[in-house]
Amino acid sequence: MKQLFITFTLFIIMASMAVGCNNATPESKEPPQDESHEESSVEKPAETEDESPADDAADLDKEKVLRIALTSQLNSFDLPYTLERTLRNVTWAIYDSLVWVDEQGNVVPALAKDWEISEDGITYTFHLRDDITFHNGELFNADSVLLTWQRGLNEEAGNKKSFQLVTDIEKVDDYTVNITTDGPSPLLLDTMSTYWGMVPPKYIAEVGDEEFGRKPIGTGPFMYEEWVTGERIVLMKNPNYFREGYPKLDKVIFRTISESATRVAAIQTGEMDIVTRLSADEADSLRDKDGVEVMKYSIDRVYYITFNNLTSGKGLPTENVNVRLAMNYAVDMDTIIERLFNGHAIPATGFITANNFGHDASIKPYGYDPDKARELLTEAGYPDGFDIGMACPIGAYTSFDDVCQAIQGYLGEVGINADLELMETGKYWDLESKKELPPLFGESWSNSASESLIRLEGLLRADATYSTWTEPTIDDLLDKITMTAKPEDRAELYKELQQYMHDNPPFIYLYVPSTFEAIRNNVKDYTPRAAENYFLYETIVE
Amino acid sequence: MQRYFLSRIGQSIAIIIGVLFLVFFMVRVTGDPAALMMSRNATQEDVEAFREKMGFNRPIYVQFADFITHAIRGDFGNSLRYRMPAMQLVLERIPATVELASVLARALGLIGQSVPNFWLALILIIIFAVNLQWFPSFGRDDWKSVVLPAVSLALFPMGQFVRLTRATVLDVRSQNYVRTAYSKGLSKRTVYFQHILRNVALSLISIIGIQFGYLLSGSIYIEFIFSWPGIGQMIAESVAGRDFPLIQAIAIFTSVVIVLINLLTDMAYVIIDPRIKYG
Repeated sequence: MKQLFITFTLFIIMASMAVGCNNATPESKEPPQDESHEESSVEKPAETEDESPADDAADLDKEKVLRIALTSQLNSFDLPYTLERTLRNVTWAIYDSLVWVDEQGNVVPALAKDWEISEDGITYTFHLRDDITFHNGELFNADSVLLTWQRGLNEEAGNKKSFQLVTDIEKVDDYTVNITTDGPSPLLLDTMSTYWGMVPPKYIAEVGDEEFGRKPIGTGPFMYEEWVTGERIVLMKNPNYFREGYPKLDKVIFRTISESATRVAAIQTGEMDIVTRLSADEADSLRDKDGVEVMKYSIDRVYYITFNNLTSGKGLPTENVNVRLAMNYAVDMDTIIERLFNGHAIPATGFITANNFGHDASIKPYGYDPDKARELLTEAGYPDGFDIGMACPIGAYTSFDDVCQAIQGYLGEVGINADLELMETGKYWDLESKKELPPLFGESWSNSASESLIRLEGLLRADATYSTWTEPTIDDLLDKITMTAKPEDRAELYKELQQYMHDNPPFIYLYVPSTFEAIRNNVKDYTPRAAENYFLYETIVE
Repeated sequence: MQRYFLSRIGQSIAIIIGVLFLVFFMVRVTGDPAALMMSRNATQEDVEAFREKMGFNRPIYVQFADFITHAIRGDFGNSLRYRMPAMQLVLERIPATVELASVLARALGLIGQSVPNFWLALILIIIFAVNLQWFPSFGRDDWKSVVLPAVSLALFPMGQFVRLTRATVLDVRSQNYVRTAYSKGLSKRTVYFQHILRNVALSLISIIGIQFGYLLSGSIYIEFIFSWPGIGQMIAESVAGRDFPLIQAIAIFTSVVIVLINLLTDMAYVIIDPRIKYG
């Protein structure tokens, strides 16, 4: 009897393997970072069967509930502290800022009715709406703006930088504030829309900061209902939301599923309505499944290999522009993308992606040309190449160690002997922040503002934590971009910068990846943007 | 015997202190988490200010002394990620892991000696959650959700346990004193309970303590795969995020539990088998 049972169980396991098991790709983590908002090119394959999910949640009956799988655990509802950007999607269901960036990238009013910017571009006068209440009934007014800013400046706040743009806030009256910046700040409104979630002063005074991070109160489309650490976050509809007729959902449930293979299972069973960050293979395995729709879009993230003229790369051949050009020509990016990402990425042409304001589409990738690379090296005085140090992180990004090894190989073909060291991610980021990595190192930088300025300054300003390269010409162009208010002029400057960075590359530009998500086909009006950010007030479950 | 117990307790405390020491230094070998906690566009000044505030720029022995003096008073610091007392976060996760462990103790374990548990977990999800839809694929909701993670976790140790029990019973059954017991005319039942199982228990108890450690390490994978909100999941997460205070609190908690269980099994040994005498 016992033997029969064993045989039977083994048989089931074998059979299931034949039916098709999903490969468990280890989840790639992303570094904590960045800002928000931009439009993405979302492609949805036409694939709409009219079958409702096999739902065990019959008790939810007519309540419209949306269940979303997060990829990491929420650390705090308090925006200055919320770590990963995908987690800010949760916090943004709770809060509103003074302004919002719509899907077309326009800054539109939210809790501010309108605003004026002074001639010199330094003072912003916001006129606030006087008909907004927080979830607990507290009135929204100028005090809330002041407190939001002050709390963001705390030393422990990881997102402090986004509040430091502002040097002073003056309360003119209950519904008018003057916000002063430390200089012309073209990204102020964009940044505010991402980090400045308005908080209720009385409630915070009552419960304290720690409790507020656990049980938040905002003015947003959804209200906090429950947070069982490690298990679930439940938000319910705010019936008094200022955008009339919204939100469309009664309830949103967020649950964290760190393992991507489990996310694939949970969307198939209908336990989840939205799952994100799937691998290309996982997405493929879901394409023919009933009730599931697969989405693919380019995310605003650029992968690169650094050159360095600030610390470890000083005095090396890579300070010669022809050497840097040669190394860009030496790498066969198309093959890397084809082999390692099944073609689901595009070669990067610089740090201003197609999603960014001021993108110049006429600039093309260098293309693979080892002969030209050798020529350039000879011209630079290194006909036999040279030795150089290189490092890459393990486990931080999908297949990235393979990418680095491929690059090492390509560089070797033109005589450049890169001594590649693969490192554990935590140690890597620590060394990176101290500028102690070898001259060539692999990394990526995502961006969620409509403009790429934060990324460019983060990479190319000498005093930035993660920068490795500076040049007077680039500094000068960045200064001009910061000081110029007129959009057309800014766009021109961005184009000039792209051209310069193409002719004088401070990096080996690698690729811009795509991400895959899957949703149940009864979910409508879910529109993630290029920073994997989404706003749920319009989303519907049919 | 009292002396033996006292010296075992002394040893246990020494082990826990050793663990504290190791964990504290090991997590710091690869640098500090300031880079992970600050946004990418932060200036070096801001990152330094964070280090300063968190005390990561002090000499490591000063940090250790500080940690020990606080730990003795039961203060294990705040988690960097959650900004909450680390030990409180650990204790919140205990019920889930205990639930998993207690269900697995009852679970049937017949096969699985050679199957890695994370692989088994994924296969179980595909068969029983996706294809048959009998059980949920993740989470901790009703009784159904505990089945798959418990089976994946239990199959390996239970298999071992069952095999060991069987082997030991066979071994003990052929001992002379068992034959003597039968020849005295004792019933089969009495022989089993009074003579065989009692002796079998000795060897089983000694592996329980060891098994517990395996279960805990197994729960890291299993809880991660099933999104089970227990201590295993928290270990994986806090190590990846270099949440020093949280890692330390988990290490202290789990080492105390494991040391305690081993201490108890050693003591049980002495109590069950009157032939064993120490000290």
